[in-house]
Amino acid sequence: MERILTRNVDNAEALTLHGYEASGGYRALRKAVSSMTPDAVTDEVKKSGLRGRGGAGFPCGLKWSFMPKEVDSRRPHYFLINADESEPGTFKDRLLMEKDPHLVLEGSLLGAYAIRAKAVYIYIRGEFVYATQVLMRAVAEAYARNYAGANILGSGWSCELIVHRGAGAYICGEETALMSSLEGNRGYPRLKPPFPAASGVWGCPTTINNVETVANVPFIIERGADWYLTVGKPPKNTGPKLYCLSGHVKRPGVYEAPLGLPMKELIYELGGGMLDDDRPLKAVIPGGSSVPVLRAEDCDVDLDFDSLAAKGTMLGSAGIMVMDQSTCMVAAMARIAHFYHHESCGQCTPCREGCGWLERVLNRIEAGNGMSQDLDLLLSVSNNIIGNTICALGDAAAMPMISFVTAFRDEFQHHIDHRSCLTGTRALQGVR
Amino acid sequence: MPKVVIDGEVLEVAAGTTILQAALTVGREIPHYCYHPGLSIAGNCRMCLVEVEKAPKLVIGCYSPVADGMVVHTDSAKVKEARSAMMEFFLINHPLDCPICDQAGECRLQEYSVEHGGGASRYTEPKRALAKAVDIGRHVMLDQERCIQCSRCIRFCDEVTQTSELDFFQRGERSQIGIFPGKRLDNAYSGNVVDLCPVGALTLKEFRFKTRVWYLKNTPSICGGCARGCNVVVSVGQQQTMMTTRGQLDDRVKRIVPRVNEEVNAHWICDEGRMSYVNEQEAVRLPASRIGGADAPYDAAIAAAAAKLRDAARNGKLGLIASPRTLSEDLFAWGEVVASLGGATRGVRQIVRGENDALLIRADKGANARGAAWIFGAAADETAVMDAVSRGSATTLLVLGDTLDPKDTPTLPPAAQGRVEVIFAGPFVSGAAERAAVAIPSASWSEADGTYVNFEGRAQRVRRCHLPLGEARPGWRIALDVAAAAGAPVPAWGNADDVLRALAASVKEFEGVTVEAMGLLGVPMPVSSGV
Repeated sequence: MERILTRNVDNAEALTLHGYEASGGYRALRKAVSSMTPDAVTDEVKKSGLRGRGGAGFPCGLKWSFMPKEVDSRRPHYFLINADESEPGTFKDRLLMEKDPHLVLEGSLLGAYAIRAKAVYIYIRGEFVYATQVLMRAVAEAYARNYAGANILGSGWSCELIVHRGAGAYICGEETALMSSLEGNRGYPRLKPPFPAASGVWGCPTTINNVETVANVPFIIERGADWYLTVGKPPKNTGPKLYCLSGHVKRPGVYEAPLGLPMKELIYELGGGMLDDDRPLKAVIPGGSSVPVLRAEDCDVDLDFDSLAAKGTMLGSAGIMVMDQSTCMVAAMARIAHFYHHESCGQCTPCREGCGWLERVLNRIEAGNGMSQDLDLLLSVSNNIIGNTICALGDAAAMPMISFVTAFRDEFQHHIDHRSCLTGTRALQGVR
Repeated sequence: MPKVVIDGEVLEVAAGTTILQAALTVGREIPHYCYHPGLSIAGNCRMCLVEVEKAPKLVIGCYSPVADGMVVHTDSAKVKEARSAMMEFFLINHPLDCPICDQAGECRLQEYSVEHGGGASRYTEPKRALAKAVDIGRHVMLDQERCIQCSRCIRFCDEVTQTSELDFFQRGERSQIGIFPGKRLDNAYSGNVVDLCPVGALTLKEFRFKTRVWYLKNTPSICGGCARGCNVVVSVGQQQTMMTTRGQLDDRVKRIVPRVNEEVNAHWICDEGRMSYVNEQEAVRLPASRIGGADAPYDAAIAAAAAKLRDAARNGKLGLIASPRTLSEDLFAWGEVVASLGGATRGVRQIVRGENDALLIRADKGANARGAAWIFGAAADETAVMDAVSRGSATTLLVLGDTLDPKDTPTLPPAAQGRVEVIFAGPFVSGAAERAAVAIPSASWSEADGTYVNFEGRAQRVRRCHLPLGEARPGWRIALDVAAAAGAPVPAWGNADDVLRALAASVKEFEGVTVEAMGLLGVPMPVSSGV
């Protein structure tokens, strides 16, 4: 199988502009600005079926088409790249930025051209120091060769390229919180509508895409949407995908495969199988920590948006976390709950108060001090959060909770009833 | 105009109206904490979640505009469940220290708990423990534990005063309202954050722990602090069960809060106006009538004053200086009485301090300066009277003292002292009162009914909020008693409303000003005919 997104991952030369160009880089950008209108770029992406790789899977070309066709000089357009990759279990964007930074820039510039943007802001997770350095070097090179800046490649179109570091908040990966943060304000998600295409950063029309999403665009422009439609599972799950495999497997890492890769193939072939052959698969979180967990018997599923949705979960950010039989699901969930409690921005009531509550109850169960009504309480509190918050963080905290407690209720119940763990691997500390 | 159905009731409202506002027009209040009509929409409390048919989830009523054909349910099972859930979330970390909380009795947490709460708590974990008494400004104390993080106070300081002293610090469940390092909440309107706070997180230093709010009697009135005439509610104590040690009802003013009037002060008042009652209570009241500096019976003082005023008026040697905070009724009554005695050189003092600000505060501290100008004429100012005193053409001076700020009571020019005899009627002991040949205590701002006219020509009703102290009487009543003692005709006025009727019949700028017309929000009068 041809590696598309990761073609340069083992090519150290690609870190330089020269090496990237030698691998075929920036041909798509040249093609677009010299022979395509912005709308033609958008149409090609629309036709390709590319869906956002950030988590929600929204059609990319459709999102671009929401932007105004004319630019009001008082309200310039902005193209934002969400490089705040923070979903637990997800590490694909970092790979792209560290190994093939110009691919990210080229895709960003193509998107910026399509939506007639005045500037691209790459909002990068603050912890990604190395990736930031690599990107900054690439940005300087791109400016020097006039891939960015004034009158790009003589096209008459000017666009700035700016890398902006976040300060370490999961919430700033939420698109409107990212915009607040970029503006210098608290990273609070905004009420919607208005959606970013109408009023985004600084109140101007804005499009925001994930790093991996824009990394697909140069290939779509260079090779055409018709080619792209042959990759993956057309019509609705097209293109190559980066899968972040972690947990109890022999070879964790980022794997590229066409959308629709069978999960078992990822775990047992690409990933080399379970870490310990005596400890079979127990559960998989298929899309980063915020999506519902699958029990082993539900894992005969293809890794694409619609197949996972049919199983009641999501592809999300494609962070596939594999857990074997030694995993205590209570402990695993407690760790996830801790994350969301820590990362809730606190703006709206259900998430601010609910996430801490969930974690405390779970910690109590985990420590052996659970009470009989606790499991129903966890479900009830989770349901009171879901759908009632400003952004999706509340849902992200509540969905895994509901799925863990529902799918592995016997294990949670055992913790409460016996003050011990069903996996038998640990003694609980509880006292009553 | 979009047509919407709210709980089965069909209504048409202007495009852009939110569900919450639309529901209010038919008398349905959708519960809310963070929404405030005077501030931007935050949408963070999630208390106003309502069900809109065909929408995938509940929407917040404060933010969602109505759309044609929208069908809204504010009381469905789903909505009730969400409200109950929000109440539970608010309370899990709330200290529930209602017994010692100043907000108790007017707390939205309490009210909505009764209406929408679950009754019992399912929360068995330790509550968040935070600072209980953070001194954040001249007037305001912060209790971090009680805060429900609605951000009203932050938005007020960002949007209304534009001073931005407050913000959230930390994140998530750990986030707290706080003040920026090196700053204090000392803007000129800081007290409003206390009114805005739907819970007991922000309390006023001057009011906290002073009384329970259910012992307060609330009277709508008008602030006397400047020419703006902010609409206020004056709360006085009326403790029924516990007498004070002096064996009296403790019916003094306990606090002043703004009353909504979009035409005048919107939702706010300044701190100076809010604290005006403190000045008043710290000032020394004139407890009883005095003749020549010694206490005297009221009737004797009236008789002495009447004789002196009559003699001076007959000889054309009478001057009258009134505070610009004197009620229109008192000015009119004194004007009529003095005229019937033979007339006087009349002047209204000007009290100008500081500058007009962009919000409410006026440099002109004369709450009734425009009303006084309408009654005495625009030319009647203090200098004219002082000139007459200096020239020796006024030898007797009737001083109507300040009702609000004793420090503003006029001092006579040194040249006049000893040459001029002062008759004083006012609430406070002041320079003029102490030098007066006759001093008569009158009711202060919170003790009498009357009318103020603000700088824009809006006539507004000032209300008696409690009984006058000691022997104090309303100014117009003293004027009538003087007229009677002087043998002059006595108008048949039984109360301030009668005086207003006579005033409206006699002074053309007041034509149409009645208690009914003023109502709670006042009545704007054409100003071209006035000053």
